[in-house]
Amino acid sequence: MKSVVLMTVFALITTVSFAQRTISGTVTDAENGDPLIGATVVVKGASQGTITDFDGKYSLDVPGEGAVLEFSYTGYSAKTMTVGADNTIDIALSAGTLLDEVVVVGYGSQSQKEITSAVTSVSAEEFNKGPISDPAQLLQGKVAGLQVYNRGGDPNGNTTIRLRGISTIGSNAAPLVVVDGIIGASLDNVDPNDIESMDILKDGSAAAIYGSRGSSGVILITTKKGSKNQKPTLSYNGQLGTATPVNGIDVMTADEFVAAGGTDLGSNTNWLDEVTRTGVTNVHSLALSGGSAGTSYRVSGNLRDVKGILKNSGFTQFNTRVNINTRAFNDKLKVDFNSSFTDKKQDFGFNEALRYAVLYNPTAPVMGADSPFPFASEQFGGFFESLGLFDSFNPVSIVEQNRRDGTRREFNFGANFGYNILDNLTANVRISRERKTFSGEEYYPVTSLFRGGATSPSRKGQANFYDEEANTQLFEAYGTYLADLGSSTSLTFTAGYSYQQNNFENKFFSLGDFPNDSLDWSNQISASQDLNNAGLIGAGSSSTPDEKIIAFFGRANATINNAIFLNASVRREGSTKLGANNRWGIFPAFGVGVDLNEYLNIDALDLFKVRLGYGVTGSLPTQNGLSQPLRSVVNAADGGVTTALIRGGNEDLKWEQKAETNLGVEVASDRFGATLDLYNRNIKDFILEVLVDASVEGFDRQFQNAGSLTTRGAELSLDYDVVEGDNFNYNTGIVLSTYSTTLDDFVDSLNVRGNLGAPGQNGTNMLLVKVGEEIGQIWGPVYAGPDAEGNPTFEDLNGDGTVIAAADKALDPDADFQVLGSGIPTLEFGWSNQLDFNGWSVNAFFRGAVGHSLVNTYRAFYEPIVATQSSYNFVNTELAEPGLTNARFSSLYVEKANYLKLDNLTIARSFPLKDVNAISNLNISLTGRNLLVLTNYTGTDPEPSLSDVGDAGNGSVPGAVDNPDPLVPGIDRRNNYFASRVITLGVSFDF
Amino acid sequence: MKNLKNLILLFGIAMFMASCTDLEENLTGDVTSDITIPSTGASAPEPVPTSGPLDAAYGQLRGAGTANHGSYYSLQELSSDEMLIGAKGGDWFDGGILIELHRHTYTPGHAFVNNAWTGTYGAINTVNELLAGGTLDADNEAQAKVLRAYLYMRLMDLYGNVKIITEPGQNSPQVSSSEVFDFCEAEILSALGVSEIASGLDVGGSALGADPTQFKVNRFGALGILAKLYLNAEVWKGAAMYDKAAIASQYIIDNGGYTLCDDASCSVQNLGKRAGVDSDPDNLTGYAAVFAPNNYDNPEHIFSVYYNEAAAGGMNFSQMNLHYSSQFTWNFDAQPWNGYSTVEDFYNSYEDGDARKTNNFIVGPQLDFSGSAVLDYASDDDDIQLNYTPAINELEPNHRREAGARPAKFSFKQFGRPDMDNDYPIIRLGQVHLIHAEAVARDAGDWNQALTDVNMLRMRAGVSPYTSIDADEFLAERGREMFQEGSRRTDLIRFGKFNDAWWEKPASMPFVNIFPIPQEQITAAGDLTQNPGY
Repeated sequence: MKSVVLMTVFALITTVSFAQRTISGTVTDAENGDPLIGATVVVKGASQGTITDFDGKYSLDVPGEGAVLEFSYTGYSAKTMTVGADNTIDIALSAGTLLDEVVVVGYGSQSQKEITSAVTSVSAEEFNKGPISDPAQLLQGKVAGLQVYNRGGDPNGNTTIRLRGISTIGSNAAPLVVVDGIIGASLDNVDPNDIESMDILKDGSAAAIYGSRGSSGVILITTKKGSKNQKPTLSYNGQLGTATPVNGIDVMTADEFVAAGGTDLGSNTNWLDEVTRTGVTNVHSLALSGGSAGTSYRVSGNLRDVKGILKNSGFTQFNTRVNINTRAFNDKLKVDFNSSFTDKKQDFGFNEALRYAVLYNPTAPVMGADSPFPFASEQFGGFFESLGLFDSFNPVSIVEQNRRDGTRREFNFGANFGYNILDNLTANVRISRERKTFSGEEYYPVTSLFRGGATSPSRKGQANFYDEEANTQLFEAYGTYLADLGSSTSLTFTAGYSYQQNNFENKFFSLGDFPNDSLDWSNQISASQDLNNAGLIGAGSSSTPDEKIIAFFGRANATINNAIFLNASVRREGSTKLGANNRWGIFPAFGVGVDLNEYLNIDALDLFKVRLGYGVTGSLPTQNGLSQPLRSVVNAADGGVTTALIRGGNEDLKWEQKAETNLGVEVASDRFGATLDLYNRNIKDFILEVLVDASVEGFDRQFQNAGSLTTRGAELSLDYDVVEGDNFNYNTGIVLSTYSTTLDDFVDSLNVRGNLGAPGQNGTNMLLVKVGEEIGQIWGPVYAGPDAEGNPTFEDLNGDGTVIAAADKALDPDADFQVLGSGIPTLEFGWSNQLDFNGWSVNAFFRGAVGHSLVNTYRAFYEPIVATQSSYNFVNTELAEPGLTNARFSSLYVEKANYLKLDNLTIARSFPLKDVNAISNLNISLTGRNLLVLTNYTGTDPEPSLSDVGDAGNGSVPGAVDNPDPLVPGIDRRNNYFASRVITLGVSFDF
Repeated sequence: MKNLKNLILLFGIAMFMASCTDLEENLTGDVTSDITIPSTGASAPEPVPTSGPLDAAYGQLRGAGTANHGSYYSLQELSSDEMLIGAKGGDWFDGGILIELHRHTYTPGHAFVNNAWTGTYGAINTVNELLAGGTLDADNEAQAKVLRAYLYMRLMDLYGNVKIITEPGQNSPQVSSSEVFDFCEAEILSALGVSEIASGLDVGGSALGADPTQFKVNRFGALGILAKLYLNAEVWKGAAMYDKAAIASQYIIDNGGYTLCDDASCSVQNLGKRAGVDSDPDNLTGYAAVFAPNNYDNPEHIFSVYYNEAAAGGMNFSQMNLHYSSQFTWNFDAQPWNGYSTVEDFYNSYEDGDARKTNNFIVGPQLDFSGSAVLDYASDDDDIQLNYTPAINELEPNHRREAGARPAKFSFKQFGRPDMDNDYPIIRLGQVHLIHAEAVARDAGDWNQALTDVNMLRMRAGVSPYTSIDADEFLAERGREMFQEGSRRTDLIRFGKFNDAWWEKPASMPFVNIFPIPQEQITAAGDLTQNPGY
């Protein structure tokens, strides 16, 4: 960030009125003594009124003694006070039951009632329980419309987060994360134990204040802080969990395999058992918090040690976070400082071991010494290998011999300076820095067939090294002005500037041909024979340009009579990633909400709010340089260098934008709350690599803005205190969401995507992409049984007497193809239940989805008894077709994947221990995750697959790991981790 | 409200330094404009073409699918009667696109059809950029134009009716095959500095060089390409020009200084020799030497594509053709894919003792480096030793894993990498003799006119010369000589045999003699018309 000068000029005009008497005071929160900002103070039965300033202070002229003042604040119980002799009236308000939430929105916070957009707040008590390392998973199933899936639950896996379905094609689909006001912060640098609450901005009118990155939703995280005047408290929270595989892939036993004609190698090996284990997770968190009159602090340390169910997979993470909040200069200056550091040592393990455990010959021995024929196993580190097969590796050798690990370190700090220039005017300056590094290593020893080249006499052993560094700088300045327009009507303005710069660098190199198996040669790469051999050392590096996002923004909120709420915001934002002609975009939003109950006065209801919001947000591509032409370097062997054009530039490349309208209804009573949201979102100008005329341009691809889609959806949240008693409480809540997405326009009006892959099923695309229709249609021929030779036959769907079912005829008008299912669920739901009695609590959380299907690729490749595959095991589910001896994709492998999971069951007992000196607030809990799964799906996990990483064959890595295709939902690939059941014992207490 | 009646605010006026709204994107990790650095004279692992401004253009021939899977080579070979890829159970079915090539049922959505189009036009664009740069000297400009004409000849051969684009980014309408032919002819004639090919030809005034540098187009390479163009004029142009083909090829034979590589004159070390197999020769001679991994200075090559395992990758025959277990015969760096095999009838068209049969195929039980049997634990017959049988049980769905003679003309070397070292001839003297033989015979209407040239090649291969020959026998002989050189499809079309039925392939309709214009390209361009029949 280069220097910036921010000059703000304010003028204030007041008119002094004729006063009989002036009463002043402070309105505070009864619980923690914090000032309540914007609380309403009115003289009952008269027109006078005011609202409190940033310090909770008010000053009001009253007619005289005996006047009654009413103090109210949204979400708090109102209080009245008769004016006596004293000119100072301080009052403390207590939070009400249902409406006490203050919701963090962009650049400020509002009370729940004032919100005019679809925002959901989830507090720590409502989070998913158990040893969860990824903050996003705390929300799984809790927020209507928020999809959080980590299929199989790989401890190092990437969680797919989607808000209201597909939000972009080609751009960054991950929601924007804001941690304590720091935009674009890393979710990985927040330990779940440090999170106080999360607010999810779901619709465009809420997210528009974040502009170009708001389209995929915004998750605002507030971390725990100390309180003022709190004596130092040391809290401990520990968890011990065990994980066991819950659902593998049904394969043939050795006997079944031999009976089916498989090659008998004499042993009996359960390969899944060989590569899995009972995973153990340890979590220890310690936090010290406290505060004096002016300063509060919280310091925490979190240690997580996770051993996954796949052998040699897991991580050890240490995280520390410091929050300091202090005030100075008569409380006019507020400084909030936070910093966190995470060190995560990861053993990625090899999901491939699970894949090869499914397809490896069950009669093969683990060790070469048990081979039925002479086998030189020293070459393979003692392991058996079935040589001469495509895509077949001894899974135990994979997990035991190879190493794929890395260390991720993240450090950030942020400081926010807030200054009360006037009672109703504050200025804020925020500065933050974030630095993330990753250093990874892979080592495949000379004895590993899997990527180690054990059979290659010339080049055995392989070491790969990765080095990445990402830096983010953020500077923001904004001011907030609170205007009092008389009788319980207020107006708040916010305006500011934001500058963010990201830089990313990576380096990679790879080399091999190591001497022998005596060392892990990744630590002694000078022994690599590749150093003597031209062209064998792989190396690469990249560095992004200064990737900048610059914005100016403003917002106005009005509250009229505590019944009508208006919000409007605009952000003008520019990014370096777009074409020179179109770098800047404007993102407006508007919202209105009315609490009808202020007029209807229905006694049973506390709130009956209707709100309507509209907002425009954008999406940025993940890569830099898409608007510029790209050339590849052609090296000649004797030192000459030339280049060839491989992609065209596009100076007109502009924002992908989403316009969203959201209608919401909120109803709340003492014990019941309901929120219904209906939305319509239109997304256009995807940033996509589009085919251009190769003959003219010489390249066949260029990035352009192309295509649009519409999503319509509905979300319902219900919450009910079924029983409210002194000793017994039962609360239940349900969230439901449904949506459908139609592709309105696209680069191809008709296309198929989602290649099944090797062996033998390349060119077999399983997802239909068709303009005017829904996204996620699985497309293929309908299986009609085996013929006499064991080949699959297909239905003559169009009844023309010929069956056209070849994969590359999928789009032929005469082809016998049809929609075989949808990759996207029609309804997703979460159902939470909380029982409390006498210090015991039971929390049961169910989660599910219906209407989606999955292509079970394990079955599609390995279930038919293919003669030439008699050396691989066969998948053997209840859906197996006994007579089938040829593998061809069809409806046979598309399975409905409706499911209901008992996601989380926690039984806890808390002991206040008031009379014990050493510790207090003891809580002991037992949590089970994934205890029960009701589904007919025969694969390992019925959860929806929302996007596709592509296929990987013969030990390779899938092509689209970093850029999965959102138009290809519904394929259960062979590279997934297997789901596990986790039982956790938790203890927490305060010193 | 008495006290504070009104508040009016003036909002922040912020003044920013210019840098705070600067959004220029300065890419640091990508190349966005051309860089050309001449040779530094650095040493290379083997003799290599000296570099020049046309490196990128010649390099594009490697990228345009000349000798790898999934593009030009695959279309040319798999649609002919010499090679196939059978579906081996779950392996190599790939949505049926390989079967389609064999049975001539390909469609506009075929991936290889698209790859060959984009690869070839990508290469053409590289040439166009170089020509548009205006910095080439006369020789280089002439080379670039001949190279571009050759690429258009490939497009004409594959698709018939294409766009002729000669300037980067400048569109031009799709034209008929005949017009593409005229363009190619005119460009090459101009490079040769002559107005036509007629008796008394003298290309002494050509801007092209005459020195035998096989990795650049010299005047003999240009004449060879032109001779091939004329040989196919009846198909591509609709008018026979065999006389011109004869004159051009005769000129190369007489003036080029190239020699047929025979056993006596031509020998290179056998880099594929196994230590434990005494029957492996120490040296490769004659025909085998023309295609060996160390063939870079072969006297028969006139214009070749340079391949190198490290610096110039793109030839993957060892991966494409061999069974997984054959890795142990040659100690390959990577496991082969078990894809391409030879149509049995084609293999059987060679007589025993033909040196070309020995060189061009791998058949029979396989031994590894030390002379032990190569084992296939997943063998689908009773014998665990890997044994390539010329007989193939079926094309699909269960082509046996070991079935089929494996193409090995471009022989493999020990410790080979996935990318091979063998250079791939576009024009070689043996081929020129075949062009000459056919052109003379067709021009005279007497196939026996072909005997002199054909018998030279037969004698080199160690088989007895013909005393007479007809069209069918000539085609068969041409096939034996030119196997795996991407020529067979074009030859079958010229001889009117492409639509015949052959093994596992019914007779096909004439419209398949040109491939469809790729559907993706029709969609992207908007002004391309599909070829008839598709």
